[in-house]
Amino acid sequence: MPDAPEPSNAAQEFRAGLRDITPLSFGVAVYGLAFGLLAAGQGMGALATGLMGATVFAGSAQIVAVERLAAGSGAVLAVIAGLALNLRILLMTASLRRELSGRPLWQVVLGVHLTSDENWVLMHATRTKGWAAGYWYLVGGGVSLIAVWVAATALGAGFARALPDLGASGMDFAFAAAFILLLTSLWQGRRSLPPWIVSAGVAAGCVLVLPVDPSWGLIAGAVAGAGVAGLRRDG
Amino acid sequence: MRGCGAMDEQAVTIAGLALGTFAIRLGGYLLGARMPATGPWERVLRALPGCLIAALLATILVQAGPAEWGAAAVSLAVALLSRNLPLTMVAGVAAVYLLRGLV
Repeated sequence: MPDAPEPSNAAQEFRAGLRDITPLSFGVAVYGLAFGLLAAGQGMGALATGLMGATVFAGSAQIVAVERLAAGSGAVLAVIAGLALNLRILLMTASLRRELSGRPLWQVVLGVHLTSDENWVLMHATRTKGWAAGYWYLVGGGVSLIAVWVAATALGAGFARALPDLGASGMDFAFAAAFILLLTSLWQGRRSLPPWIVSAGVAAGCVLVLPVDPSWGLIAGAVAGAGVAGLRRDG
Repeated sequence: MRGCGAMDEQAVTIAGLALGTFAIRLGGYLLGARMPATGPWERVLRALPGCLIAALLATILVQAGPAEWGAAAVSLAVALLSRNLPLTMVAGVAAVYLLRGLV
């Protein structure tokens, strides 16, 4: 670290980020354990699951991709579906220009890789309270999240072999419930509704009518719904 | 059932998702200055995650039955009331377990 600006502030912010993210890390741990079980159902071991968590570090995209593999869609569709869900991260890192500009490359790479919904939202929430929360606050939260995510997903995958059939226990529904919560958190008032209805309708229609893989219906629905959002002027 | 094909599929999925996601993350930063803060494309990108999740839930639920529909309703109620992720997941799993026993 040759010319880290204000090292004491950086260390303070890093520790604050690490501390403030803790309640959110608990949620990520539960989500991670459940993802590990899902991954194990696809024959993924603790090592592969942990590696995926460390290199991808995007929970919902990992779930969608592994679910697509479980549905027999193949790797290409699994990757497309996961990346489509991650396009929102483009908007988050695009908004980090002020935090990242002028930093050495390794700090830019570290910062963008550790950007996730939780620490990005937390950084903005902390700022609205008038507290200092910049690059190192974001990184502090991200370090906690990625450590918990890798550990929880690898544990879930490693211990899944010791557990009985998960379909009968209802665990297969855990992510449907998680996505329902995620959807309610993305609600931005009534204008959210038309794109979602179009998206769900197109996807359901494709699944019911067309003899193609449901992943295509999913992607067609999302594109149609987002297109509706783009065409509306009240967004 | 799962031989080399499944292993390759996993490796390709992990590598593709890792490289693609990093490209999105870095790309966002590089595009940051040029991206319009308003306009149709910004609305499309902002609406995309919600639309994808709505589509995903629709594909899950049209291929499921009354037990899953009931559990989805329970999950929605718990999500709106608690805004708590672990609690919503537990409620959804418990509801689908109980309803599958009944239906």
